[in-house]
Amino acid sequence: MSAETIQLQMRADSTFVDASLLDGMSPPDLLVVEAEWLTERSLVMQELLRSAVPRSAWPQSIHWDWRRKAPELELLESSGFGIVIESRWQGVMLTKSASHFATLAPDKGKPLVYIDYLEVAPWNWRIPEIARAGRYRGIGPTLFWRAVRQSADEGFQGRVGLHSLPQAEAFYMKCGMTRLGPDPGKQNLTYYELSSKQGMSLLKQGEAP
Amino acid sequence: MTKITHGGPSEEWLQQASEIEDSCRSLSVGGMAVDLNMLPPPPGETHRVFGRLIEYARRKQGLSVEKLAEQAEVDLAEIVEIEMHDEVLPQVRTVYNLAQVLNLPSGRLLEVAGLASPRPEVSNAALKFAARSEPTAPLTPDEREALEEFVKVLVESSDGNPANA
Repeated sequence: MSAETIQLQMRADSTFVDASLLDGMSPPDLLVVEAEWLTERSLVMQELLRSAVPRSAWPQSIHWDWRRKAPELELLESSGFGIVIESRWQGVMLTKSASHFATLAPDKGKPLVYIDYLEVAPWNWRIPEIARAGRYRGIGPTLFWRAVRQSADEGFQGRVGLHSLPQAEAFYMKCGMTRLGPDPGKQNLTYYELSSKQGMSLLKQGEAP
Repeated sequence: MTKITHGGPSEEWLQQASEIEDSCRSLSVGGMAVDLNMLPPPPGETHRVFGRLIEYARRKQGLSVEKLAEQAEVDLAEIVEIEMHDEVLPQVRTVYNLAQVLNLPSGRLLEVAGLASPRPEVSNAALKFAARSEPTAPLTPDEREALEEFVKVLVESSDGNPANA
């Protein structure tokens, strides 16, 4: 496992805190993630039900269970990234390298980094309907940025692909990804791809001084 | 051994990206279990209506999701998953407990859930039910009729004995 120190913002007072961006999570780490997140998921669900928030406004990953994703992390092509603040997992991402290929010209058929799963810890969710502001900001974008960097590090020039949940589509579109439409093989989630040009431009914009 | 370096995106980029993040509900990526081969082979029509059948039967009894979870001794998250997502394969115990609480024949309900091969009359009834039901608020007379017709086939094909079928 390797760790980078990064800075993330607390929503409550906008101050920055030190966080660790970890590369090389293992399957047992995912069990710890879900052990930490499960109770909070359940709390959020109860609050949503009590406040009669329509299902369309519920976080679409509310029913996820990272324990079920642990076997996938055993695969050679899989990598696990996570952000830790004060010994708690704040966000997790699984990627696959060189097992997925670009569909966008001019790099069609060339390998890319595929983001299998990405989720932010439930206490960081912003759900205005139940007055949840979310504790830390920027977890999701940092993980996404890390995937683009993985792609550059591995020689895939920033090419990234992912299937976005509907609530997240606007983010990936605004990050410059190209929308390639719903994929019947993936529960009809919409496939997005970042070309090498888009990826390198994102990394350039996001480069720390 | 953990190697520590300094990194991460620039503050400026992160601020901009976080503002976009704030305008979305979540940044979640990926379909649960799609790649884990945890899903059954291509779900049949019956499996697809299981969630809606449970939702209707629950609403007919005037139960909240929480109440149903409590009475059936099933995790709240599992009921929500069943009602919200078409491609979920529920646990046998869950289906059995739901059948008891919702007064549906458990054998036939396992077929609808995709855990047993459905007999033709169950498949047909499920198809009809799927075509007629729309996931909305309290049951309309039409939805109630659709539900009752479906349940009737389930009960009749199990010799009219809900508990033991």
